[in-house]
Amino acid sequence: MANKFDIQIRAEQGYAILETAGYLNDALGEQLSREAQKLIEKGYTQLVINLDKTALINSIGISILIEIIEALEERSGTLNFCGLSATQERTFRMMAIAKYAGIFPDEKAAIANF
Amino acid sequence: MHLSSAEETIQRLIFSLSELEQLGQTLISGHSNFNVSSKTYLRITLGTLQATRGAILCFHPTDNYLTIAASTPEVEVPPIEIEPDEVESLLQCSLIELDTPPAALKRFIDRNAELLNDKAKHRLWVPLKIHDEFLGILSLGKFLGRAVLEEWEQELLSILAHQISIAIAYSRNEARIQSEKFRLFMLAESAPQICQLLQPEEAAEQVVHQAVAFLDANVGGLMLIQPQQQNLELRYAFPETVISENDDQNRNKPISISLKDIEADTAEANEKTAFDMLAGVVKEGRTVRSAFRTETFLGGKNLMAGPIQGRDGDILGVLVVGDKEERGGRIAEFTDEDEILLDSFAKQAGVAIENAHLHQEALDARQLQAEMEEARKIQENLIPDTLPDIPGYEVAGHYEPRGPVGGDYYDCIQLPTGGWGFTIADVSGKGMQAALLMATLRAGLLSELSSSRGRENNESVDMKNELIDMAMTLNSLLYVSGTEEKYATFFYSHLNPKTDTLTSLNGGHNPPLIVKNDGNIVWLGEEVGGLPLGMFPNDMVPLIAKYEAEQIKLESGDLIIFYTDGVTETVNIEDEYYDEERLEQVAKTCTESDASHICNLIYRAVMDFQGDADQFDDLTLLILRKK
Repeated sequence: MANKFDIQIRAEQGYAILETAGYLNDALGEQLSREAQKLIEKGYTQLVINLDKTALINSIGISILIEIIEALEERSGTLNFCGLSATQERTFRMMAIAKYAGIFPDEKAAIANF
Repeated sequence: MHLSSAEETIQRLIFSLSELEQLGQTLISGHSNFNVSSKTYLRITLGTLQATRGAILCFHPTDNYLTIAASTPEVEVPPIEIEPDEVESLLQCSLIELDTPPAALKRFIDRNAELLNDKAKHRLWVPLKIHDEFLGILSLGKFLGRAVLEEWEQELLSILAHQISIAIAYSRNEARIQSEKFRLFMLAESAPQICQLLQPEEAAEQVVHQAVAFLDANVGGLMLIQPQQQNLELRYAFPETVISENDDQNRNKPISISLKDIEADTAEANEKTAFDMLAGVVKEGRTVRSAFRTETFLGGKNLMAGPIQGRDGDILGVLVVGDKEERGGRIAEFTDEDEILLDSFAKQAGVAIENAHLHQEALDARQLQAEMEEARKIQENLIPDTLPDIPGYEVAGHYEPRGPVGGDYYDCIQLPTGGWGFTIADVSGKGMQAALLMATLRAGLLSELSSSRGRENNESVDMKNELIDMAMTLNSLLYVSGTEEKYATFFYSHLNPKTDTLTSLNGGHNPPLIVKNDGNIVWLGEEVGGLPLGMFPNDMVPLIAKYEAEQIKLESGDLIIFYTDGVTETVNIEDEYYDEERLEQVAKTCTESDASHICNLIYRAVMDFQGDADQFDDLTLLILRKK
């Protein structure tokens, strides 16, 4: 049964925002990874991932987020997250994602801290 | 400047050493994810060996296939299936020339060479392995300026392949550790959280979400046992599209599984349905894994389900997850470790679900209590505070609420004609609904009495028919006002004090007792019974038991005792009913007393009989005595 998911992309001057909706598992994660990769190849090295509409993340979703961080680091880029639930934020800190990416309450703060 | 062959070799060796150092740096830099670093490894390998094209293929042991992690130039290739004996053959080789492959691998190479961007362009395969674990293949195209690798280059290739193998193994171990870390963290994090949820629906949703996420499942559901229906009912499912039946007839009806006659052990796994499996979890009380040929009601084919238990070990329901996914979207089977995790989580989930339900029950009880209080206020407002003085008669009444709010009602109403209406009723059910139905009955009765019934004060009016018409009107009113099981037993007597005639109609109520002035006992309305009000629509009433009325003439000293079943159905500690016989006996002893005294005597007699026994029905008495 399909997990309804979606990614909205907004590319701005110098940065881009990827907003996910739905269960961040392999399917949504792979799509997110592809979109992030496309943006990186276009020269966007400052990305925001907004997880406000993503209540669930599994371990594959986490590993894909780590891949995006690593892919950006190769280009000396930065990834900032926003819209995380309290549990997601604790998970990100525990999984050391917070060590390599910023965590901010909303898009405005995420953009302001590049 | 032209370099000699020796100088060129030395320069390439220096370059290779520096690239090898870079490989080592890549490995320890924390960029352990091979999906990201594979491009770097391939670039270094191609640069070191001066190869024009190549690819790194990773082996996925659970499903026996290879995928491309990196390739130059980039190619899109679907997963490549590989047989176990082909894996064994690859493990035996250190280097494979694609033009002259070992016989055991010829079919595999022929089958897939074109996928790797044309067989002619890839010349060499180096199996990637650590000890006996096959990890993938390093595939290389032609080399610049030479047809074959020199011996030292082959040694270098072997070192590079080993480095790549270490990187793949390291990446997989890291991924495994990260995944386990994530799952254990989620288990530790989510259990206390769900235990704090107080809404059963929210608790069910969170239990399913957490289980789906930390078990990498694609679907999940929580089914709880409905003890009265003996079934398992789906309370939450992820995705939410499967919560109710899909066919038109059962739309919005929750999916449920009967637990009657469970025969979970009889069917082979392949013949079982998902419903059989879940019912079996309840029966056996242990976690079960099953694979099905077709999609189950949750949407997945591979299910794992465990019992949800309360504090005292009772099975409350089943937590089920389905279709565990792997990287790449493939569906994997749940493992023994997954089963242990689900068991651990289900224990916490059971406490959470039980907590939420207990909290909800406490809230419901509090709300019910408040509703009962409100209902009692309504009911008490309908009972008259005082009864009128009727010349030539004595009237007394007593209402005793006992247990939950019932639906007793009595009244003595002065009619515009100078007559009097005596009524006693008992509405079915308890609580607010009963109180409101009683209020409806009283309003309807007052409306009827103030409009026409009994208005005529001469004998030409057929009072019996008046009462029958009134009963039909009230029946219709209560039928449309109440729910299916709401009705009222009702007794009404019209007293004409000028003629001392009492015209009575019984709507399924306990017949009042008349103690005549000579001591004889008569049960009023016993012969003219009718249906309780509101039980059937008016057009059905004549077909079942039509309303009738009877008329008697009262004489001095006659005593009429109206009562509700709370009197005759009072029980003592030996579970005996007070019954009509005891009422009759006490009534006979008090005919010389006034109405208030009689009312009190009967009440005391009933209470003495009751003793310490609990009562759950109201007790109502209405006494009319002709002086």
